[in-house]
Amino acid sequence: MLIETRNLTHIYMPGTPFQVEALKEVSLGIERGEFVGIIGETGSGKSTLVQHFNGLLKPNSGEVLFEGQNLWRGDVDLKKLRSRVALLFQFPEYQLFEETVFKDVAFGPRNLGLEGDELEERVRYGLEMMELDYKTYKDRSPFNLSGGEKRRVAMAGILAMRPEVVILDEPTAGMDPAGRRHLMGQIERLHREENLTVILVTHNMEEVSRLAERLFVFSKGQLVLQGTPSVVFQSASLIREIGLDLPPLTDLLHRLKECGQNIRTDLFSLEETGREILQHYRRA
Amino acid sequence: MRSVTLGHYLPGNSLLHRLDPRIKLLSLLILIIALFLVRTFTGFILFAVFILIVFFGSRLPWRYFLRGLRPILYIALFTLVLHFLFTKGGEVYWRLGVITVEEAGVYLGAFMTLRLVLLVITTLLVTLTTSPIAFADGIEFLLRPFRRLGIPGHEIAMMMTIALRFIPTLMEESDKIRKAQMARGADFETGNVFRRARSLVPLLVPLFVSAFRRADELAVAMEARCYRGGENRTKLRELRTSLLDYLGILTVAGVTIAIVLSGV
Repeated sequence: MLIETRNLTHIYMPGTPFQVEALKEVSLGIERGEFVGIIGETGSGKSTLVQHFNGLLKPNSGEVLFEGQNLWRGDVDLKKLRSRVALLFQFPEYQLFEETVFKDVAFGPRNLGLEGDELEERVRYGLEMMELDYKTYKDRSPFNLSGGEKRRVAMAGILAMRPEVVILDEPTAGMDPAGRRHLMGQIERLHREENLTVILVTHNMEEVSRLAERLFVFSKGQLVLQGTPSVVFQSASLIREIGLDLPPLTDLLHRLKECGQNIRTDLFSLEETGREILQHYRRA
Repeated sequence: MRSVTLGHYLPGNSLLHRLDPRIKLLSLLILIIALFLVRTFTGFILFAVFILIVFFGSRLPWRYFLRGLRPILYIALFTLVLHFLFTKGGEVYWRLGVITVEEAGVYLGAFMTLRLVLLVITTLLVTLTTSPIAFADGIEFLLRPFRRLGIPGHEIAMMMTIALRFIPTLMEESDKIRKAQMARGADFETGNVFRRARSLVPLLVPLFVSAFRRADELAVAMEARCYRGGENRTKLRELRTSLLDYLGILTVAGVTIAIVLSGV
């Protein structure tokens, strides 16, 4: 197991009248090379959870383990851990601060102690992985880029650390459909070609059902459901009850079934769903 | 977010919560003046007893309240030590080489520390029980007589409201940016003063950028609602004084007179 939590509980502002229990006894495990999705309504504890994976938050009780090593026992070098488990926050374009794209992308690797050619190579790698041309972009100010470009620069800054795991907290929030498809395509390619472990926090059910191999569903700080997308989205009523949607095509299949049609409901892609519906009506 | 309790409003329904903010501010002003007029320990004890009664009347959780006091603990301690060491006069209580602690120092030190602590407690009692909006309304009203002198009461109150409104937002934002940079290996905790100051750049630049962006957006949103300052502006919540408020201010005035007289 690469990342594991055991009975993880997190409480914000404990001992004050503003105390909130954000996570309750969460136990889960993520394997190396997996693409997992974390879904749940706003305030369900998703963001709090992923900040435990790289030691940004300390659990009030329970354990967080990376490669079997408890992060908060013994002397784990958290800085080193954070370069291996990279986290991209929501709206990452607001973390850009340097004068040039090069300097900003170099911030992470430089903090790891890299310099000179090696540093340049890392920056080039990060930008190219995000399909930003090194020569065109490296000397531009990050503040003069478009929203989508800013976000890809921020993502490049994370990738330049050459992490083994990337955690993406709603990476496509507020993007247009083309930008969203583009970014998700690049992430999928990284997962496939570089064997990157990806943890995707999202509200977009269609995206996550298509890309993730396994899903964790959160509601009110608790892990309520986990499994492959086809297993998770079989529990249509539970998913709707906790304020989430089914992926649109799965929703359609579920509704057809609710109307009394004997049809499969564990499909997500347009092609498969189309084929199933056609076959069903041919049978009928 | 760490201890941001200092003066953070706690909603409630106690007598103190329901008092008119103007009355509370006026009372606070009177009590602060009283604190500076007190000359004897009897006066302080009277004051402390009154504040204690008000505190129990406010039904604020004492643990939370004490936590709000923590930041001034160091200042209070500092005051006490300075007076002990450097105010001379009267009997010598304690001596170590050239360092002496003398009567005047102990007396004045205790006096100043008490004054400081009571000052903060009294202020906290008001800020913890008054919502920021009510607070600004109270300020606006109390500044009204100064309009002739060219002091824009409404604008000052509006600026206060906006500033207070954005403190938690900016705290949250700085927390988020700090974490985002830490995720990129930034280190805010180690190194000497210069290193640490430099390590703040990745935090401050994005924070300023977003603060200006927010200010712009807010200005546009206010303009879109035709905001043009205080003239002819009506209020959603009209401030109204009740019998309770008059009783409140009378009590404060009475207690203040008693305290000041006891100290003469």
